[in-house]
Amino acid sequence: MIEVRGLTKRYGSTTAVHDLSFTVEAGRVTGFLGPNGAGKSTTMRVILGLVHPSSGTTSVLGRPYRELDRPERHVGALLETFDAHPGRSGRSHLRVLALAGGIPRSRVDEVLTLVELTGASKRRVKGYSLGMRQRLGLAAALLADPEVLVLDEPANGLDPQGIRWLRDFLRALAAEGRTILVSSHVLAEVAQTVDDVVIIHRGRLVQQAAMAEVDAMAARATLVRSPDAPRLVSLLTAAGLDAALAGDDRITVQAPSERVGEIAAAGGVVLHELTAQRASLEEVFLELTGEPDGQS
Amino acid sequence: MRLYAAELLKLRTLRGTWGFAIVAIGLAALFTAGGIGGASVDDRLSDRYQFRLVLDTAFATGILSLLLGIVLFTNEFRHGTIARTLLAEPRRWRLVATKLVTGATSGVVLVLLTVLTALVIAVIWLGALDVPLEWGDLADGAGRTLVAVVLAGVIGAALGGAVHSQVGALVGALVWMFVVEPLCWGLLGLVGWDGVAEYLPAASLGGVIDTGDEGLSFPVSVGISAAWAALLLVLALLRTGRRDIT
Repeated sequence: MIEVRGLTKRYGSTTAVHDLSFTVEAGRVTGFLGPNGAGKSTTMRVILGLVHPSSGTTSVLGRPYRELDRPERHVGALLETFDAHPGRSGRSHLRVLALAGGIPRSRVDEVLTLVELTGASKRRVKGYSLGMRQRLGLAAALLADPEVLVLDEPANGLDPQGIRWLRDFLRALAAEGRTILVSSHVLAEVAQTVDDVVIIHRGRLVQQAAMAEVDAMAARATLVRSPDAPRLVSLLTAAGLDAALAGDDRITVQAPSERVGEIAAAGGVVLHELTAQRASLEEVFLELTGEPDGQS
Repeated sequence: MRLYAAELLKLRTLRGTWGFAIVAIGLAALFTAGGIGGASVDDRLSDRYQFRLVLDTAFATGILSLLLGIVLFTNEFRHGTIARTLLAEPRRWRLVATKLVTGATSGVVLVLLTVLTALVIAVIWLGALDVPLEWGDLADGAGRTLVAVVLAGVIGAALGGAVHSQVGALVGALVWMFVVEPLCWGLLGLVGWDGVAEYLPAASLGGVIDTGDEGLSFPVSVGISAAWAALLLVLALLRTGRRDIT
């Protein structure tokens, strides 16, 4: 479990994170979402003890990260900035981390195989592509087989296959009861992976909810076409729904399509079309964060 | 111990470290060969000649140890590996302490390589010239070299921990040693404070390998150098402890 309570971080006159509180539950994948510059990376770095908070507290497994005994054995982290020495091979990088964390050396080969980097493990990291660097970062995060994962934009640089692998892998880890916090600036990217979302904007909490609730926010109106549109409007209005004619045979109803269909059937009204209109998850995200299209 | 072992592995797995070792061996060979080939027969038989011969390697090895100490700490900030290092050991004072011990260790390794190089050349060449080997003097020279080079490694690591910028620390150290401090010696000499100049960082470290009779004694030079190392350690603890790793 990860807890953030009243976290504020200021850099000079700039407030990167303002009075932020949220909880990441065990056994669930929590998406940490917000536009670029929203304060996600700063928050994650405070959680990991890399950045000092101006006020507020964070804890992992009930204790501040710095007070955890051999923290790398409990918490795996992937940071947005690449953190391997370019002159060292991928394998040597992981060997150093294994040695520092008291992790068996055999795990190095296991995680290299897991992220499909075995073939390139003896090459120096400076020759790695962006995707290979990201896989090496994930290998480092998974090295100790930790119970908590904090991943900052893990899908960056991964190809579609890699993203799919990551999604399935995170779901499998969560099913084992692990705590997973994964950040992204694209809601749609993590929508199929996460159970919960924490959305922040300009350092402030916008929404903490189950992904199902955010999905429900995407539900919009129902579009109906019927040769008997005026009578259907009357039936829908009588049922307490907000319905309006949008043309000779078109009606827009602010209600789920199932409900509209049931009322039409009960009234014996013929329907030619019954379409549930949905906003995209990105539109919901932009509405929540108050960003106009294209500004995220 | 885990962190210390990891720090040593970091050094071993970088080509740059081996570059330092090769340069140190090359310079030791050069200085030793110059010290034997450039000396007259009388010089070679003079008192404490073999002590000075070994100690001649200490200056270059000390500078390399200082620079390696700086690099082993500042590499973390130059390449952004500090975040991953602090994830493994978030108690930053422990990291700073480990870096200093690693700086000392790298100094020991450099001394082993350079003194061994000097000894091999001296034993073969002086033996060929029928100059009897003074093992006591050779050991004395090796001992002093070890103390000076280890101190330089510790000072380098502490300086790296206090400055963090690799270019800033490397250039700053060299400019201090070869420009600022000599200027200070000159200025202090003009006002008659020559004695004070001997307490400056490079001068006190130089005093550890000074074979002359003037200036600070060996123990005092070691003590003053250790004090400079301690001051830099405090600065490294403050700077590294407070810095946000963004």
